[in-house]
This record gives sequence, C-alpha cells and structure tokens, in this order.
Amino acid sequence: MISRIGVLLGKDVRILRRSPFLLAALILYPLAIALLVGLVARFANDRPRVAFVDLDELPEVLSVGGEDFNVDQVLRQVRAEVDLIPLSPEEADHRLANGEVVAQIIVPSGFASRLRGMVQSPTLILRATRGGLSGRVERQTEALVFNLNRLLQKAYIEANLEYVDLIRAGGDGSFLGNDVSIVGLQRAGEILGEIERDTDDPEIAAKASELRNFVREALLALDQSGASLRAVANPIELRLEDEGRRGFLLTAQVQAYALALTLAFLCILIAAAGIAAERDENVIGRLTRGLVRLGELIAEKISLAALLGLVFGLALALVFSAALALEGTSGQPWGRLPLLAVGLVLGGAAFGAFGVFLGVLAREARTASLVALLVALPIVLLGFLPEASVAPAAWVSNAFPFAHSVRLFESSLYDLSPWGTVAREAAWLAGLLALFAAGARFGVRRLLT
Amino acid sequence: MRAGETLALIGPNGAGKSTLLSILAGALAPSSGRVTAVEPPPRIGWLPQRPGLYGRLSARENLVLFAKLEAVADIPAAVGRLLALVALPDDRKPAAELSGGNQQRLNLAIALLGEPDVLLLDEPTAALDPTQRHALWTVASDVREHGGAVVFATQNLEELARVADRVAVLLGGELVFAGSIAEYERSPEADVFA
Repeated sequence: MISRIGVLLGKDVRILRRSPFLLAALILYPLAIALLVGLVARFANDRPRVAFVDLDELPEVLSVGGEDFNVDQVLRQVRAEVDLIPLSPEEADHRLANGEVVAQIIVPSGFASRLRGMVQSPTLILRATRGGLSGRVERQTEALVFNLNRLLQKAYIEANLEYVDLIRAGGDGSFLGNDVSIVGLQRAGEILGEIERDTDDPEIAAKASELRNFVREALLALDQSGASLRAVANPIELRLEDEGRRGFLLTAQVQAYALALTLAFLCILIAAAGIAAERDENVIGRLTRGLVRLGELIAEKISLAALLGLVFGLALALVFSAALALEGTSGQPWGRLPLLAVGLVLGGAAFGAFGVFLGVLAREARTASLVALLVALPIVLLGFLPEASVAPAAWVSNAFPFAHSVRLFESSLYDLSPWGTVAREAAWLAGLLALFAAGARFGVRRLLT
Repeated sequence: MRAGETLALIGPNGAGKSTLLSILAGALAPSSGRVTAVEPPPRIGWLPQRPGLYGRLSARENLVLFAKLEAVADIPAAVGRLLALVALPDDRKPAAELSGGNQQRLNLAIALLGEPDVLLLDEPTAALDPTQRHALWTVASDVREHGGAVVFATQNLEELARVADRVAVLLGGELVFAGSIAEYERSPEADVFA
C-alpha cells in the first residue's frame, strides 16, 4: 500500500515540478494575500475622516497656566491618528449624514476661556455614527482627549505649583483673575518666631510656638507638592521603549497567519484539483480496477498536500528568519523548527483532506480549483476575525483547519511553553483531517461515473 | 466468455457498451448483478474509449508508472517492448501533446502492460490508422491464441464480421441478442444496425 501511494506521490510531484508557474502562483498568491490582509488590518481605516468643528474659533496660540500652546501643533499630533477636516457645523452635519466623515469633533463656544480659567473642565463633543467605525473613532477621540489632557496637565501642574510657591514664599500673584499679595508661610513662620521671642506673655508664646510648628509642617508638606501633583495626575505612567521590538510585518502572529494562509491555498487547491484531475484524465478507473484502492488514492492526495505544506512552510519560515536577521531582530528559535515541521505536516494534511473533499464534490479539476479558491478565501477571512469580538465566526472557523493552524504555528514558534496549545490544536487538526478524509472517502465514487 | 474467443459488443450510443466493459474491468461496480470469473482470476487489460493516461507525463513515464502499479517484474524491458509494439517514439514529449492516434496507441500499450488474459477494448480502432489497426488486431489475436479472450465494443460492422466470433447486442442497458456471427446476421437485430 505504501509503495502504491509512493508511486502516485512521485508522479504528482513530477507533474508539479513541470508546472513551475502554477506552483509559483500557488506560493506567491497566498503570500500576497497575507501581506495585503496584514496591511489592510493595520492601516485600513487607520485614519478615519473626522470633521473638526471649531465653534470657539480657537486662536493660533492658547496660553494656559502661563504656558503657550500652538493649537495647530497640538492638532497635528491628533492627525497622526485621525484625518481631521476643519468644517462648518452645517457642512459637518451634511458630511456626517452622507458618510463622508465618520464623526464630528466639536469645540463649543467658551472652550478656550474655560481652559484658561483652569477651574472648570471644558468639554469637547464627539458625534459619531452608530456601528461600523464608530467604536474605533471613539477610541481615537479618547486618545485625542488623553493626549490633550496630557499636554495640559503639565501646564496645570506648573500653574498650581506657582500658587503653592506663592503660599510658601509669599509675594504678589494672581488667582482666579484677581491680583493678590500674601505674606507666605515662610514669612509667617518668621513672624511667629519673632512673636514667640518678643512676648512676655507665656500663653501667647505657647500659641505662637504651636502655630510655628504647624507652619513648619505645612512647609515640609508643600515642598513635596510638586511630586504629589505629578503622581496624582499620572498614577501609572507608560514608558515606551523601542529596544529590540519586532517589526510590524513580521510579528509572530503575522508569520503564523502567512504560514497558515499559504498552506490553506496551496494544499486545498492542489488536493482538490489533484483528485479531480484523476477523473479528468480518465485514469481513475484504470487505477481503481485493482491497482490502487480509492482510500489509497485519497491518502496519496492528502500526503501530497502534507508534503507540500512541509516543504513550502519550512522554506517560508526560513525566509522569515532571514528577513528578521536582516532587520536586526532575533528570528525564529531554530530549536522549534521540528515542532513547526510537525504542525506543517498536520496542517497541510488537514487542508489537503478538506481539498480532496471539495475535489470529490466538484468532480472536475477546473471546477474543483475554482470551488477550492472560493471556499478557501472566506475560511481564511473567518480566521482573521478576533475570536472574542465575533463569536459565531469563531465557531464556524473552528470547523476548518485555518484558525487551528494559526494557533499551532504561533505557539510552536514563540510560546514559552507551547505544549498545551500545540497538543490541543494538533488534536483539532487530526480530528478535522479524519472528518474530511472520511467525507471524501464516502463521496469518492462520484469520480467513477 | 470462453477462452480463445472474441466477443463483439454492439449497440447504439448510450446502449451501455462502455459501462459493461468498465464493470468487466473492475473500474465500475455494477448497480445489480455480478461478474464471476474462473480461478485463478484472469489478468485483465482494459482499453477505455477515451485514453486514460497522464497528459503531463511522457509515453515512457506513463508506462513506467502503470508498470510499477501492475507490479511488472522487468519494467524497462516491458516498457521498451510495448513502445516498439505500438510504434511510439521514446521521447520526452508529454502525452497530452501526442496526436489522437498516438494517444490511443499509448492507451493500448498501458492496457497490455500486465500481459492480460482478457482484453477489453472500447472502440479500439476509432483513432487508429490502418497499420495500427492491423497491429492492434494482431495483438488481440495473440491474446486469444494464448488461451485468452477479447471483448470489444464497436460501431464498425465490417470489423465485427472480420474479427468477432460472437456478437452481443445491447439496447438501453439490456442484452437483446447473443450468438455467433452467423446467427446475428440472420437475426432481426442485424437489420437494426445494418
């Protein structure tokens, strides 16, 4: 049996070697799709068009807490995340209604004066459509407000610290728009010391001493106010470090998706077209009249898919590794390649079984190729949807090998302790392989008529 | 079928001649009835009407592949002998690029690989030139003379009279006549297909 499968496998490999353009297309097509999907997922709607309605007519420079803010510069930071389009309220309403912009950010009248006053928080208004990109726009607007607050809080803190300094050292200043002249805690302490020294009344001296102690404690406490205010403003501070981070295009997840995508297209198409071609070439009858069993023919096509999955998957992993080495980041852990190889064989076989099943249903090689392509694409796209967000898609996706292959490859390559995930996903793939192979065996007689 | 006999299957298109040959070859399971054979079962060579071969492989590669599956003992010798027998050039040209006649020759060579006792031929001479037709019937005659049997489906009544010992007439999947050539020529079925 093994030798018969081997003979047919050798034949198929020889035929594939004689179709370099087909093979190249089958490799490059899924890679191109993987790249495009990755780029689309990363950059599509990355900068949604958002109307900016300035009802307050913000000045070019806004002075808050003694610090000058270049409004355009602040907005430029926001533009990295959303495409802000300055519009009149009417135009913004019109464009929001017809979908040209996904949201409006409205600066209401009195925004700047409230900001300068530093007593009441001014309000920005976000008007977004429901569904679609609204969640994304909300998050980006929150990010905008967060960034603005981060810039402003520094000015607020500096302004508050000036008040604290005024209270500590005394002198002339301004508070809530009123000019004030105060003695300050330091001078108050000195005055109390003089009273304590100069008075003959022990009761007054005791009270002055008590007040001087309070002033000293207050001064000590106020000395720490700068750090306290900053700590209150930023209970948790995020520090971004750029050292050794992997480039976006070759994250572990992207590599796993690219591998699974290549396997999905390559193995499904080859297996589907391969089994149907045996009928197209009118050979299947010749084979199955005692030379090869139908089950062996199915096993051979699945083996072919597994072999192609292994060879091209490993080649792709090596290319990724080389690309990462060129980028200066560490590539795949070489010790994990055997584990990845097992996953590639299993994934390729599961995709192959699914392909054979489709080929048996389609019966003709051309139809099988088209059906395989049409079916592979949505399966792959389903696997791209986040499991936590779109649960039904995840259920459907679990019935096909793509999502399991992605998880297996990602875990094989990068998880510190991959065994649990690898075992679970390998069991899934083996189950799907058995299921689709059984379906193909059940229907393969269709090819004989 | 009896040893040393040549049986012709005739009937209009769709009568079931090719289906019957596929069932006899073991390529199709009968929907009812069964095929019985003597012990040990005879080796069967099947020549389907449409050539059954891999278009991207050369003639030699096709023969080597099927020889391996047939477990032929001396594959190079068998392949060389058959290529010479059907007069096919031993080059690397893919079978898909061969002419219709040459594809049919290769089809015949594959059928002969297992040194069959029974030769099942489905419209075997349709794409062959006179020389190759003669070569084909010489091969069939060899099989018969060595105690084998030949069954062939044909629409060519001239060939029927020249080659067949017996005739079976199929009509709509039913056997409507079976007998010798002389009996057939006297039967009403002969008028139908004349």
